[in-house]
Amino acid sequence: MLAVNFLILAAVLFSIGVFGVIARRNAVMVLMSVELVLNSVMLNLVAFSQITDSIDGQLFALFVIAIAAAEVGVGLAMVLMVYRNRRSIALDELSEMKG
Amino acid sequence: MEIMTNDNWLLTVGTFLPLVGVLVMLFIPKAEEQLLKTVAVITAGATLAVGILTLFRFDYGQAEKLQFFVDVTWIEVIRSNYTIGLDGISLPLYFLSMVVTFLVIIYTWDNMPDAGNPKSFLILMLVLQVGMAGTFVAQDLILFFVFFEVVLLPMYFMIGVWGGEHRQYASLKFFLYTMFGSAFMLVAFLALFFQTGAESFSFMHLVSAGGLISNEVQVWIFAGMFLGFAVKVPMFPFHTWLPDAHTQAPTQGSVILAAILLKLGTYGFVRIAIPMLPEGARAWAPVIAILAVIGIIYGALGCLAQTDMKRLIAFSSVAHMGFVMLGISTLTTLGINAALFGMVAHGLITGMLFFVAGSVKHRYHTLEISRLSGMLKQMPRMGWILGFAAMASLGLPGLAGFWGEFPAILAAYSPGFGLNVTLFRTLMVIAAVGTVLAAAYLLWLYQRTAFGEPSPEFSGQTPHPVGAGVNADHHADHHDEIRDVTPIEWIAWTPFLVAIVVFGVYPQLMFGVMDPAVSELVARLGESLNP
Amino acid sequence: MIFAGSQSVIAQINQWVAPTIDWHALAPELVLIVGINLVLFIDLSLGAAKKWAMATLTGLVFLAAFIPVVTLAVIGDASREMFDGRYVVDGYSLILKAIFLLAAYVLVLMSQNELEEGGYYQGEFYVLMMCSVLGMVMMTSARDLIAIFVALELLSIPAYMMAAWRKRDSRSNEAGVKYYLLGVFASAVLLYGMSFLYGTTGSTKLTDIGASLVDGDLLGLQVLAVVFVLGGLAFKISAVPFHSWAPDTYEGAPTPVTAFLSVASKAAGFVALMSIVMLALAPANSVVRPMLWVLAALTMTVGNVMALRQTNIVRMLAYSSVSQGGFILMPLVVIGTGNAGDSVLRAVIVYLLIYAFMNLGAFSIVIAVARRTRSGEITSFGGLFGYAPGLAVLMTIFMASLAGIPPLGGWIAKFNVFKTVLDAGDTAAYVLALIGAVNTVIAAAYYMRVLRQVWMAPAPDGDVSPIKVPSSIQAALAITAVGTVLLGVLPGLVLRFGDITDLTGALAR
Repeated sequence: MLAVNFLILAAVLFSIGVFGVIARRNAVMVLMSVELVLNSVMLNLVAFSQITDSIDGQLFALFVIAIAAAEVGVGLAMVLMVYRNRRSIALDELSEMKG
Repeated sequence: MEIMTNDNWLLTVGTFLPLVGVLVMLFIPKAEEQLLKTVAVITAGATLAVGILTLFRFDYGQAEKLQFFVDVTWIEVIRSNYTIGLDGISLPLYFLSMVVTFLVIIYTWDNMPDAGNPKSFLILMLVLQVGMAGTFVAQDLILFFVFFEVVLLPMYFMIGVWGGEHRQYASLKFFLYTMFGSAFMLVAFLALFFQTGAESFSFMHLVSAGGLISNEVQVWIFAGMFLGFAVKVPMFPFHTWLPDAHTQAPTQGSVILAAILLKLGTYGFVRIAIPMLPEGARAWAPVIAILAVIGIIYGALGCLAQTDMKRLIAFSSVAHMGFVMLGISTLTTLGINAALFGMVAHGLITGMLFFVAGSVKHRYHTLEISRLSGMLKQMPRMGWILGFAAMASLGLPGLAGFWGEFPAILAAYSPGFGLNVTLFRTLMVIAAVGTVLAAAYLLWLYQRTAFGEPSPEFSGQTPHPVGAGVNADHHADHHDEIRDVTPIEWIAWTPFLVAIVVFGVYPQLMFGVMDPAVSELVARLGESLNP
Repeated sequence: MIFAGSQSVIAQINQWVAPTIDWHALAPELVLIVGINLVLFIDLSLGAAKKWAMATLTGLVFLAAFIPVVTLAVIGDASREMFDGRYVVDGYSLILKAIFLLAAYVLVLMSQNELEEGGYYQGEFYVLMMCSVLGMVMMTSARDLIAIFVALELLSIPAYMMAAWRKRDSRSNEAGVKYYLLGVFASAVLLYGMSFLYGTTGSTKLTDIGASLVDGDLLGLQVLAVVFVLGGLAFKISAVPFHSWAPDTYEGAPTPVTAFLSVASKAAGFVALMSIVMLALAPANSVVRPMLWVLAALTMTVGNVMALRQTNIVRMLAYSSVSQGGFILMPLVVIGTGNAGDSVLRAVIVYLLIYAFMNLGAFSIVIAVARRTRSGEITSFGGLFGYAPGLAVLMTIFMASLAGIPPLGGWIAKFNVFKTVLDAGDTAAYVLALIGAVNTVIAAAYYMRVLRQVWMAPAPDGDVSPIKVPSSIQAALAITAVGTVLLGVLPGLVLRFGDITDLTGALAR
């Protein structure tokens, strides 16, 4: 079935996203990687909606889109705040507290 | 087990009365020290009065039955009830806890530890009394556990705040060891609860249902309880907290620790572990006996190596509790009777020794055996009391200590329920050697501290050696204050001394109370072990 | 073929009928929504000098939201289901709503002075806090993946901002950014898992998912889904190995926010976990049980061992809350065995309630003492017994309760957990119980270290003037202390929560 291809694409996107979160050290890039994961989720949901022949998945995807937007808004604001205080958004340098 | 519900308010009042005193004291300002002490003495006295009333209302003809029995729903969902009762096994210990607390509070009147703050000190002591008395009357596992643990914090603070130089280390060690034991004990309690059908935590139910659990499971559950109680006793490999706690604790703490707290562990064995898990007890009895005898010898040898009087007494506790555990491990009427007697006797005698040690410390500001001597000359009464307590401690016939040790050794000659006779007889011989060692270290202690001339350091006749250190002016203040036993001390100590003699001369007084209950306990063991 | 389903999707839309809404059941949420708007608009029109009124107002809103919870509980008939059973108000959710509202009220009392004196955007703070609490309150009723996700984000997003509340403080920044990045990532992973759950069962409703999963015959994707969902939720409850954000965030965030995160936000994570595991994943317990077992054991142990090494009180409490989370996880490990259903719920809920009391209490003391000492080190508690005996005694109650010493609340919470676990009676359960037992001892060591400072050490700087405790913190202390002691002595008061058969009963239906 062709819908499986969407799932595979989603899995690839998910993997790229996870890799990005782990490997990237720039806050904005990490944020982008999380977005990739969220995109893979939405793709999944819509594909499954087709496969299982129910509308719930598409509804779910709408909710994810709306909430992800809010999340990114907060995230960018925070990155901006850090940049103002430190003139850098490298995550490595965010390590005042340890233990 | 039959029950009697006459006068059933007595135990609840006797157990919780100290809390009333605590409540009153909370509202008295810290500075009113005399008033605080008075309230504490009155509270402890009233509690003791209830205890004495309990003694009179107790039906000695039926000491094997639970008397003053109360059973009220407490935590319904977990099937735990507020069940309390008293029988011949718990009565002596219950009463002892009240007496000791009362006398210790009297002793505190003019022997407040250096850290001051009698308000908190006395409040903690009264809370401690609630926990101790409650443990001895509880007839429900959960209730027992709660009381068993209530004791922990007050003692921790008593050692930690009012203790000696290394008090923080000692108090934490005491706390963590006990906590370690009770964590496993709680798991064992729960396992027992579920293995008996998750019906009830009441002792009566568990005693009748516990024996039906399969042998292997009993052995495991017993192991958990063993950890909990053995740490508290303390038995040989778990004893290391005791010398530290005793040495660092204030006198009052040491006395309570020796007289009552250690008994919570042995009482747990007699009341809970053995009757509820007969097969487990039989499997573990040789281990307990071996560890007990190791404790006897180790404690005695440890005593010989000590230079500090208090530490020596603490190690002697390890040895004495070894005798108690040896008696219990024989699973015979004689052995358990001896153990119970030994518990009370050890409480009185070692409590007395710690009192003397505390008073010596108060006067000389040291407990180094090598620096003390000539006590008989300098304060003859104190010297004689020390001698008396030491004699009682080494098990001189005619004093209370004898009746705890001798029958325990005797019981090991013929252990019950098919326990390995050769093993127990070997242990008996070794334990007998332990009594000789006990005589050795106690006489050595007595000889070094009481005989001879008072050391010039404290005699007040020779001038100070120049540069005696920071304590120099301390000594100057206290030289001529080396007084003999004070009136307060007489009041606090006389009951101990009298009891040691009375129980030594007429042990039947206590055996008579305990024996019916112990006989029934052993008879019930017999029903499960020799069907 | 790709869009074969499109016809029926349209058809489904056409069949849509407006759901009936039970306004009474939704009243707590509605009160909060009204309150949020009220505070937001009043705050806009209020001068800086009067901002203190915001705290009072917020407290009142929480209390007002409490009223419908009580009336619903008093009426207490059958559970009220809405939206085809995807949003349910029953005994279980009412108890949890009550816990969240109570905790939120105490948190307002705790935050008040800190915010007032720091001049930190009071109105906005309380608005965000109410939004977050609204998410928690919704979470208790959510019985659908979408509803759970929305509630989870509603409670998390404001919390990210609250963690970074001290804008100019780089530590608070760091706390916020770390919490945010890991939080979003965890939500994304959770969602990925949820998408598979939905895809393989065809429904987002928890009970439908539960009915479709067949133990012993799980699809590979379903196993993957369970792993992702549990992993995502493990982050929210800061279970090891997903806990790395917790200590840094807790230390850097303003202390009242830390209290909020470690109590309310964490409890909400547990609620989500409980609902999903009990209703949807219970049939998959061949995957769920081992995973939770490992999580619980690791969380307790690592949390405790790390807590032992801390010198900063807030950081120590952070690790302690990680390890307490491990204890809360323990009962969930035995789902699907015997009659574990009810007792698991009871054990978790009672633990959450008591944990809320004692941990909030401990944080209140930290706030009260830090107002004077301006230090977060454990040594700064030295000599407290000498100059503030009241605070010292309260701290003793809270620490001893956290350590699980009877007769305080923490004991009954731990006892219940052990009891539930041992009820399962298999080897795995016994081993877990023994690990738990050892951990209570390790935990006692660091709680006692604080008490040692409080009672036995001298004051670090020799300053022994009495501490002035603001009345709002006094109130918070009174509530938490009474709760901690009362629940320990008379646990019957809350153990009656055992009548929560609705949630588990839903599975059978």
